[in-house]
Amino acid sequence: MNVIAPRLPAVRKPLTEIDLCGWVGQAAPGDILEYHRGFLALDTMPQGTRLAERERTELARVARRAWWAAERGLIHLVQRRHRSDDYSYLAIARPKPKLASVSLCSLLLAEAA
Amino acid sequence: MHSSISQVDLQILLHEADIAARRLVRQLRLPRADLDDVRQDLLVDLIARLPAYDAERGTLGAFAGAILTNRATRIANKAKRERRMYGATPISLDEVIPESDGLTRGDLIAEADGLSALFGQPADAFAAAEHRLDVERGLGSLEPADGALCAALSRTTVDRLAAGGHGARSSLYRRVKDIRLALTAIGVRAA
Repeated sequence: MNVIAPRLPAVRKPLTEIDLCGWVGQAAPGDILEYHRGFLALDTMPQGTRLAERERTELARVARRAWWAAERGLIHLVQRRHRSDDYSYLAIARPKPKLASVSLCSLLLAEAA
Repeated sequence: MHSSISQVDLQILLHEADIAARRLVRQLRLPRADLDDVRQDLLVDLIARLPAYDAERGTLGAFAGAILTNRATRIANKAKRERRMYGATPISLDEVIPESDGLTRGDLIAEADGLSALFGQPADAFAAAEHRLDVERGLGSLEPADGALCAALSRTTVDRLAAGGHGARSSLYRRVKDIRLALTAIGVRAA
């Protein structure tokens, strides 16, 4: 008699802000990261019950950092809808922008002045 | 109450100290050459504490065992502290490299490479230049105030900045944490 084992959902460790930053820093253009699965607006609400407070706080940091990275041209932010309250929030790495460098020497001299 | 130590007892103490020293050297994986130093360290401590031995309270062996165990623990803690600071094993510049016609470790490290080369950190000038360029690119992504904070932290500490009225200690640490995250996202590696 064959017993088919039930398919258990994969349990993933929630992403932290430093995890996201580390990924953004080393990702090659086109790399994709699902930084959250759920419904961000609900999941980060203080009155929300889907996540424990600690996880909710960290998720809010992750979401803010993702937005910060998108504004600086480091990633694209897209969503994939599964159901009305279930989305995959994706970060797609972009080529690192040619940011204006700040001369270390001038910074140190300005500070010393 | 003091008790006198016979020659036989002294031999027992020497033997116990030798066993404790060998055990410690084995456990800490210390170089064989350290055995004599460890044994002497244990013995000196034991002999210094001998006046406290009282035969009516217990045997000399039990007394020696307790003293040696305590001393060995302190030696082990000191060795672990040094390893955390300097690495797994200390290295000697005079250590001869095997199959190298008598060259020592010091012969292989250029004076210009500096102390960091001894600990395996990269001494490549090109890599250092690239890292500096990465740092400058990362600084360009920060807010001007955060860039100034980075410059200030190159010469002082957060505590001193806070004491000098440059902001609350907690908010300065929060900004440092934020800066680290931002630089990580830009791709600037930690030093």
